[in-house]
Amino acid sequence: MIRYLRFITKRLILLLFVLFGLSLMTFLLARVVPSDPAATYLGPRPQPEQVERIRAQMGLDRPLPVQYALYLRDLLSGDFGTSLSTHQPVLASIREYLPASLELMITAMAIALAVGLFLGTLSARHENTLIDHTGRFIAITGVSLPAFWLGLLLQILFFRVLGILPLGGRIDTMVSLIHPVKTITGFLCLDSLLTGNWTAFRSALLHLILPACTLAAYSIGIVTRMTRSSLLEVAQEEFVTAARAEGFSERRIAGKYMLKNALGPTFTSAGLAFASMLTGTFYIEAIFYWPGLGSYTANAILSIDYPVIMGVTLLGAVFYVVVNLLVDILISFIDPRIRI
Amino acid sequence: MGSRVSAFKRFLHFFLKNPLTLFGIVLVFLFLVIALAAPVLAPYPDQGRGESLMTARLQAPSAEHLLGTDALGRDILSRILFGSRVSLKAALTVILIVIAVGTPLGIIAGYVGGVVDDVIMRISDLFLAFPSLLLAVAIVAALGPNLTNAMIALSVPWWPWYTRITRSQTLSLKERQFVDAARSVGVPAPKIMFRHILPNCITPVIVQATLDMGYIILALAGLSFLGLGSQPPTADWGVMISEGRSFILTHWWISTFPGVAILFSVLGFNLVGDGIAEVMNPKRRR
Amino acid sequence: MKKQWALVLFLLMTASSLVLAGGKSEAAEEDLSKQVLIVGSVDSVTTWDPSASYSTEIAYFTNLYEGLIRAAAPGSDQPFEPLLATAWEASPDGLEWTFTLRRGVTFHDGTAFNAQAVKYSYERTMELGLGAAFILDPIESITVVDDYTVLFKLSYAAPLDRIAASAYGSWIFSPAVKDKGREWFEEGNAAGTGPYKLESYKPDQEIVLVRNENYWGPKDTPAVQRVLVRIVKDAVTMQNMLEAGQADIVTLIPKESLSSVDDRDDCKVLTGPSFMNYAIHLNTQKPPLDNVLVRRAISYAIPYDDVITVSLGDLGTKAVSPIPFGQFGCATDLPQYTTDLAKARDLMKQAGFAGGIDRTLVFTFAAENAAHQAYAPLIKESLEKIGIPVEVRPILWTAQWEMMKGDPLQAQDLGALLWWPTFNDPYETLASLWRTEKKPFFNFAYYSNPRYDDLIDRAYATPDEDEALKLYRAAQEILVQEAPSVYLFDLTTAVPMRENIQGFVINPAYPKAMYFYGVKKN
Repeated sequence: MIRYLRFITKRLILLLFVLFGLSLMTFLLARVVPSDPAATYLGPRPQPEQVERIRAQMGLDRPLPVQYALYLRDLLSGDFGTSLSTHQPVLASIREYLPASLELMITAMAIALAVGLFLGTLSARHENTLIDHTGRFIAITGVSLPAFWLGLLLQILFFRVLGILPLGGRIDTMVSLIHPVKTITGFLCLDSLLTGNWTAFRSALLHLILPACTLAAYSIGIVTRMTRSSLLEVAQEEFVTAARAEGFSERRIAGKYMLKNALGPTFTSAGLAFASMLTGTFYIEAIFYWPGLGSYTANAILSIDYPVIMGVTLLGAVFYVVVNLLVDILISFIDPRIRI
Repeated sequence: MGSRVSAFKRFLHFFLKNPLTLFGIVLVFLFLVIALAAPVLAPYPDQGRGESLMTARLQAPSAEHLLGTDALGRDILSRILFGSRVSLKAALTVILIVIAVGTPLGIIAGYVGGVVDDVIMRISDLFLAFPSLLLAVAIVAALGPNLTNAMIALSVPWWPWYTRITRSQTLSLKERQFVDAARSVGVPAPKIMFRHILPNCITPVIVQATLDMGYIILALAGLSFLGLGSQPPTADWGVMISEGRSFILTHWWISTFPGVAILFSVLGFNLVGDGIAEVMNPKRRR
Repeated sequence: MKKQWALVLFLLMTASSLVLAGGKSEAAEEDLSKQVLIVGSVDSVTTWDPSASYSTEIAYFTNLYEGLIRAAAPGSDQPFEPLLATAWEASPDGLEWTFTLRRGVTFHDGTAFNAQAVKYSYERTMELGLGAAFILDPIESITVVDDYTVLFKLSYAAPLDRIAASAYGSWIFSPAVKDKGREWFEEGNAAGTGPYKLESYKPDQEIVLVRNENYWGPKDTPAVQRVLVRIVKDAVTMQNMLEAGQADIVTLIPKESLSSVDDRDDCKVLTGPSFMNYAIHLNTQKPPLDNVLVRRAISYAIPYDDVITVSLGDLGTKAVSPIPFGQFGCATDLPQYTTDLAKARDLMKQAGFAGGIDRTLVFTFAAENAAHQAYAPLIKESLEKIGIPVEVRPILWTAQWEMMKGDPLQAQDLGALLWWPTFNDPYETLASLWRTEKKPFFNFAYYSNPRYDDLIDRAYATPDEDEALKLYRAAQEILVQEAPSVYLFDLTTAVPMRENIQGFVINPAYPKAMYFYGVKKN
């Protein structure tokens, strides 16, 4: 237990460093940019004297270290500032957009784990056969596909040609009007399920399929590769050979001994992939018009809306470090051989 | 002679066992040839460089334009061929930057050790923990959207990988005889690091670079797609896909083919990288 | 292992059958869809504060708020229509304006509309000094004559009717907001007199407007009970929403798809003029563009038709004047530049640049604007044909503006700009873009010509319209001859909608505004 605590403390200290470095970096970037936050705050065509006044109001005329100190102070008290373009508090907006992104990410990860573990196991069991080559080829194609392009192709195929899936958005507009979903978790599918709102659930689920599959492509590749290679590694370990000598059936060996031991590295890389999804959903959210954090950030970038960019960057870093920490702890439970 | 034959046989055997790697090598080779010879291969080299032909707008694939034309009447095949140069040049530059930054730091960290090692490694941990794409986007937004800034932005969170590799390599080399010998005859530390250790780090670094090429091509295309990388009229695959986006329902070929080009070139590098990983994995070498 | 797979398969099948069996209550849907108008719009709300609004939220503001008067839509024989004021007149010197107000109007919050409210609204906007408040600069004092009469005194002569009809800065709102502060607005509240009330708002996602039952207009107006606006930033998505019947009106579809959408039986595209135009401003302070001959050569080198085709398709028309076509003051009989490479080369020779220019000129524009992106390569190509090497440098608008506002000698050589006037008056356009500025602010040609400055200043202060128009015309002619900018094209507004939508009006005086008051769903 002490071991865990020490490990967690160490990681959290690193997180503090990361956050401090990141906040400093984003802050400096924000000041280097040849754009005037005061002007952005005011809208498309502010007058010079308005800009001067707002600059003073926002404290932009103070020395940089003072500005940074003030920024940190606000940050520590949970104030991420106000968006320059929507004039909404950043933290509240993030809270608003996060569930949509998480719903997409979790679905994508579930797909990736299901398909990846299956393909990886299949590949490993038939090493160096046509099945293996096909499995590996699918995996590598998965990590080589430009997500933004895959999304476009899927849209053409399933919306335009086949006409069986919606183009984008989270739910059908008419459905959301007639069968409004009560927000409980912010996950539309879950909320509609919990409230027994079947029409809305159906619509939300159909809308989820394409973006989730697009987002899953990369992770499918990662999971398949890791499952395969760690299974093959484990296959050479003594306890597997021993189990074989004992006369256990191959299926039992694979299921009981190998897969369990191979899960560690697979989960680690899946965790990494999941953590980076939060910041990697830009393309997919843009293409499928998914109202999540990615869309929010993309809009902020186009208007150089610094409070938002900084807020999301910091949040992304926290998410990344925390997910990795959780994955490491989880793995040490699954496979006690791994020490953290 | 005999050993050469057996080396060749092993080579052949390896590829027979790993047809995917062979396929990858072919793709990478094609990519390199196309990048080098684009002006010769392109049916309309001037259009590849960006010249418009407004009378030939938005033509579907035909014998004259195998992959069709875009909104400015440019031959898409020529643009794709020229686009390979942009991709290759940019990806190589990123790789060179990260090697130039990451490798020396790794060698110094590994060789000097102590506080220096700690400081360098903590800093690199810091950069590794950054959400790389988001950081890249933030940097590009700050510095302005163009290919150079996109390359800088990708390099920033990337170099620590190379520091890690060279550091561990240096740690193992440090104990070797030739390093000890050099140290005992009073060769100064910088000279040892860069004469003796650096050359021995090159192989793992190159292997890592091959593995990274595909990912970098993909990331750069992504930034260009978002409008944060190359800018028109550059023939960049990411830009071409985004240019064709509003035509996707009416003129599908504009976005589709550049995507295929990205897929194949990234696939090539990834297949080769996968093959290398397969061979290099010491646990799996029988 | 096998059992588990079977279980998973079973679960999946159950789930999918549930999904596919989802029932529909068709009658309810039919009924509701008549009363609800669904709009797909690209326009974000940057603020709900009517005093500060100066951006894309104008799309929705005309439904929530009203000004004293309104600029009439094209086709009317009057320039203005009464709104909250029923009559108005100016003193002969143009310094005193009296407005007679409509009776029996209440704000959304129940407060009665009267002269006090008018005074409060204008004064709050002037005091906050945000957004378009600068257009109220001529106002010296506002006097409540009686409950329904208000008197504006100006410090210098200005067209207060056009100012009062502005799409920004001249909204009338309930004096009760005094105690609520700006945050109250930003949470998604409105306190106007308009035909719709703001029911709910999710930033950058959804806006719901609901009929104002106490609207002062004829009974049973507006026709549509609720308006649901979905904010969508993507043209292709919007096209599909429209075609699939998921939206009744959308604000943007790919220009290439306009004709195919219009050809459909269930959709149509409404088009109308807009007061928006595109121009490239030439840095007149920096060689070689300080030479008027080079500037004219550039004006002759641009392939106007191709530029319009690639950036706007059928939605653009060649600019006839520095002022958007159809706007008050736009002169339609000015000399024009055509695409004439021979003439352009000849002018380059006269300017002493027969062998071309030995410096690469920097051409910047707002990277997020797709129209600029589309035509930029053509500009580069055509200028290179007359010996002017060009580097295309798209930057995000906010960054581009910072660069433009800097030292002209360090700034860009060519800078493209999408422009629209704040209100239907030529002075703002002519002064913002070309009047001498000590420190560059919006004059990106860095143009300075005392004669021109004098002409437009005099025109603005001339109460006699014909006289003013003459002065404005002379000023525009200078801009064409001196060519500080290349006037590319005016934008046509296209609003794609379902065939059953009727009564949608495009009013160029309120660019981007969607006025749902007269809209019916058949």
